[in-house]
Amino acid sequence: MIGKTRNTRKPRGGRVSGKTDGLIRQYDLRKPPVAAAYAVMMAVALLAIVVSVAPLVWTILGGFKTMQEFTRGIKTVGPDGKNKWVMAFLPASFSMEGYIETWRQTKFTRNYLNSLYSVMGSCVSALLFNGLMAYGLSRLKPRGWKVADALVTGSLLLPGMINIVPLFINLTRLGLTRSFVPLWLGVGASAFTVILFKNFYDAMPGSLFEAARLDGCSNLQMFFRIVAPLSMPINMVVLIFTVNGAWSDFLLPYLLLNNSRRATVMVRLFEFRVATAGVTAIEVLRATVFSILPPIVLFIVFQRQITSNVMASGLKG
Amino acid sequence: MRGFSLALLGLGAVGLVTGVLGLTGAAFVAYGGWLAAAGIVCLFAGWYFALSARILALSGGDAQSRVRLRRASRVKYDLGAWFIMAPCAVLFLFYIYDPLIESIRLSFFETKGMTTVRFVGFQNYRQMLIHPDFWPSARNSFMYTLWSLLIGFLVPIVMAVIINEMMVGKNIARTAVYLPVIVPGLATVVLWRFIFGAEASGGMNMLLAALGLPKTTYLSNPSIVIPIIVLTMTWRGAGSTALIYLAGLQGIDPQHYEAAIIDGAGVWSRVLHITIPNIYNLARTLLILQVIAVFQILYEPLVMTNGGPNNASVSMMQVVYRYAFERFDYSHATAMSVIIAAILLALTLVYNRVSRPSEAY
Repeated sequence: MIGKTRNTRKPRGGRVSGKTDGLIRQYDLRKPPVAAAYAVMMAVALLAIVVSVAPLVWTILGGFKTMQEFTRGIKTVGPDGKNKWVMAFLPASFSMEGYIETWRQTKFTRNYLNSLYSVMGSCVSALLFNGLMAYGLSRLKPRGWKVADALVTGSLLLPGMINIVPLFINLTRLGLTRSFVPLWLGVGASAFTVILFKNFYDAMPGSLFEAARLDGCSNLQMFFRIVAPLSMPINMVVLIFTVNGAWSDFLLPYLLLNNSRRATVMVRLFEFRVATAGVTAIEVLRATVFSILPPIVLFIVFQRQITSNVMASGLKG
Repeated sequence: MRGFSLALLGLGAVGLVTGVLGLTGAAFVAYGGWLAAAGIVCLFAGWYFALSARILALSGGDAQSRVRLRRASRVKYDLGAWFIMAPCAVLFLFYIYDPLIESIRLSFFETKGMTTVRFVGFQNYRQMLIHPDFWPSARNSFMYTLWSLLIGFLVPIVMAVIINEMMVGKNIARTAVYLPVIVPGLATVVLWRFIFGAEASGGMNMLLAALGLPKTTYLSNPSIVIPIIVLTMTWRGAGSTALIYLAGLQGIDPQHYEAAIIDGAGVWSRVLHITIPNIYNLARTLLILQVIAVFQILYEPLVMTNGGPNNASVSMMQVVYRYAFERFDYSHATAMSVIIAAILLALTLVYNRVSRPSEAY
């Protein structure tokens, strides 16, 4: 650690030297107590990175193990000639067989397709309903738009879980259980997305709209021909968050879709929890890996957009 | 006048539609008949006001009629714009506001399955308060919140400060701490149940064994189950909060620090007088958001412990879940939800009263 700190004292490129921003400056690092504190801080940063990633790595590695290897460990013969069980973090072999076997046995393909179906509808819903609402709030502003604005922002203040019981009753009354439709439409009631869209539309230049108006665009044409195509960055961000949200959503999908052919990945994972599901611990572990892989891949591909958007919007996803 | 009549017309239409839905039994709506009737009255009143405004405008000669024309097109414009916003507004009403009102209404009724039998006043509330699950769950929900403030509130701030001070690997750190946020909540809960498993195969016990320590139990130990669940929640939630703080820290004008250095301020006094005041208001908002979120904790105890051992980790939302989706007793479930909402409302009000926003630098 000390070596690392010393390293950072070297001037980096040209006449700009070392640490020229933030709380602690180059000049402070010459003082031993500050340098020590800085070293501790970097150690904590390293620890935070390890703690963030380790549980996921542990789970994925665990999935490679066989049932016996997972619960008891690897059998080795000790020096006294007796069998000894050793728990290892790494699996004995990295063969995909266990994963493939579990995938086949639990027929996870169906759940993946169901989740895909739910995710796609949710994306359409988010782009269309929330986009149009934000467009109205940001650009059209008809009389009384503040009522709609209050509807949207007010929902952020309400405790979210309170609604689930009457909502479930309403949906059952309407005969919408075992259907993806309520899940798709539910995404349309997301204040988070509306606010993301609205902030973006607010920043678009007004002259664009005047020009389109002069060319005879109607309100709807203006949205589909001008606003939506010019909002690709925010459309992408909304799509990423919606895909992840719809994939991860669990309570309402569980209430509507459990024990049906339409169970999504998360619903299935929750069903596994109950002993009657007839799956072994290692199979649940592997199913967990199946359920976390798509979001992780999505995140690795789009990590820059995701992290910078969280920082820019200041909204928790 | 125009806005008023339009509002009446809109209100009337919504009332009529929901009322008729309630009457036909298509949706679970309170007092369908009354709603429909009130809707019709509103529609008529709105129509009357709109008409009278138009007649007033007509009577004023040429200049006035031009105004009338513009007003007529303005109405057309407003209606068109509302037509565009209506689908999403309806979704908000259906998914958020109608259930809210329904929750309150149902909590005052005796229900049989999904139908209301009769009005019972506060009887559901009284029965909830003396239910053996109520006090443990209320105490636990407060304990979850308290522990999450002890463990979870400072972690993101410290993480953000440290990441902001990094000279290399800032991006890697940012990505790594956000990774747990992107993992589905239910999956993380299942995953942590494995890690805190009581057997030798649990991740924590493997770690202890590697360090030469005996294995121990976690989730079946009533005295540590709540802090452990809070730890897993912090693991999942800290990343997104840390990034928000990080954005706040990067918004601090570097000249503040430079001026302080010239004045001879040490690192510690810079933290006290520049860093903390600059993120104070942000922290204040995020604290109450955290309290609201953690107080409604459901997945973690539901999946990791099912409320056990012996109700040591059951949360108030889990009591709602048990009533509604295990016993199908919707009236007690909604009474419990209303109690939770009332507690949260009270907490928020008290908090806003106690902590005033500080003057921003």
